Amino acid sequence: MADVILYFGSNADTMIATKALKDAGVAAKMIPKPANVSSPANLCLSVDGAAESQAVSALGAAGVSLGGVAK
Amino acid sequence: MKMSLRVRLLGTIVGAILLCFVISIVAARFTLQRDLRSQGQAQVANGASAFGGYWDSRKDQIRLLVAQDAVADTLRRALQAHDAKGLADQLANVARTSGLSFLTVVDANGRVVARANGPNGGSFAANPFVKRALTGETVSTAGVLTAAELAGEGLAPQASSDIKDADGKVVSHLNEGLALVSAAPMSDANERTIGAIYGGVLMNHYYDIVDQSTHALGGASALLDGDAIVASTILAPDGTRIVDQALPETAGVASGTPFDGSETVGGTEYLVHVDPILNDQNKAVGARWYGTPMAAINDIINHTTESLALWGLLAAIVALALAVPVVQRISNTIGQRSKQVSDAAKELGVAIVGSEVSGDHVAATKTAVEKSGALIDDLAKTGDPTGKVAHLKSLNEELSGDMFVIDTLSQEMSSRMTQAVARVHELNDVAGALDKLVTGEAG
Repeated sequence: MADVILYFGSNADTMIATKALKDAGVAAKMIPKPANVSSPANLCLSVDGAAESQAVSALGAAGVSLGGVAK
Repeated sequence: MKMSLRVRLLGTIVGAILLCFVISIVAARFTLQRDLRSQGQAQVANGASAFGGYWDSRKDQIRLLVAQDAVADTLRRALQAHDAKGLADQLANVARTSGLSFLTVVDANGRVVARANGPNGGSFAANPFVKRALTGETVSTAGVLTAAELAGEGLAPQASSDIKDADGKVVSHLNEGLALVSAAPMSDANERTIGAIYGGVLMNHYYDIVDQSTHALGGASALLDGDAIVASTILAPDGTRIVDQALPETAGVASGTPFDGSETVGGTEYLVHVDPILNDQNKAVGARWYGTPMAAINDIINHTTESLALWGLLAAIVALALAVPVVQRISNTIGQRSKQVSDAAKELGVAIVGSEVSGDHVAATKTAVEKSGALIDDLAKTGDPTGKVAHLKSLNEELSGDMFVIDTLSQEMSSRMTQAVARVHELNDVAGALDKLVTGEAG
């Protein structure tokens, strides 16, 4: 399944989200923000499409505010 | 001058204790002075009132003696017989046994028939007391005997004296005398007035009343004619009585107004009450002075003040003994916290330097990857028969993306570190200030 892009309100939120997903056992790779994504942060996270719902749940449990998901 | 927190805290505590201590002593002394003086003044007023009681009692006694003599048959018969010699002998005997200074019998016209002492002759026709007695009234009062009256009764030497001031300088001469007198009519068997008897006690240099008062009441008593002491139990430093001395502070009593206050006599300060001596016409003819030494009050004040000072000093020492360990503990705790903050600041300083160095290194690596990408692009323009250049380009692009991420993270951390640097400076300032506060030394 194709990767999905998770983006956030700031680079600091992106870093915190990386740590939260790592603790939840969800594989995520930090990448530069793609051109088609509109966000104030320069960085975003790439996760496997199959793990999208698990990732969103983990971020919600960790209290990280998700800016959006790009397919 | 820099002082350590310990010194300043202890100084403040000591200062506060001493301030409370001094204020308490001053307030206690002031209150004691006011209250004890007020109480002492009340006691002196009571003593003066009792002294007045002795005076009145003596006056009544003289009145009774003279009234009894007025109705004595032997005296009446001697008067009717004009037996001046026999009458004089009887009067002398009565006066001596009754303690009277003088005793005189006059006929119905006020002419002197006989005296207990002194030469016979003379007239009391103008004497207001004798005149009233000849009209049938029994008179009893305090009064002032003139020099002529005193001379007639042979009492001039007892009353005559030089009045001195406190320094011993003669300021006036006293010829008159303060006396308690009584006059009563003498009647025949038909109750017709045939004469009068006139007697009394001269108070100048007469100490029975003042001694009786002082013996019973304590303190010191005196009788004044004007502002001159004519009899007293006030003692001079050498133990002798103070008499024939002027007391100018109580001169106002002669106008009939009592005096309350302090007065120094014979080198001793007394709390005094002075009452005017009034005659039976309510005119002031002298004064009764009663006082207690201020030393009695001052001794209580000084003793209480010394006790307060001693106990206060003891309380201050106990308070300091309790405060010193507390201040020591506070100083030590602040000193330890200051050192911890300072140590933490040093550790953060190392982390800041490391962050800056690693950031520089990441920036240099990113530049190198960008240069590598440019070279691969140039190489692809010359052809790629094996497809390895395209593969190399793909790898370099992935590497470039990672470097972008690393560089962004590095910049983010650098920004955070910049904020941390400001905090570290603040922490260092706080640590330095705490250190100066505790040690009192310049940072």
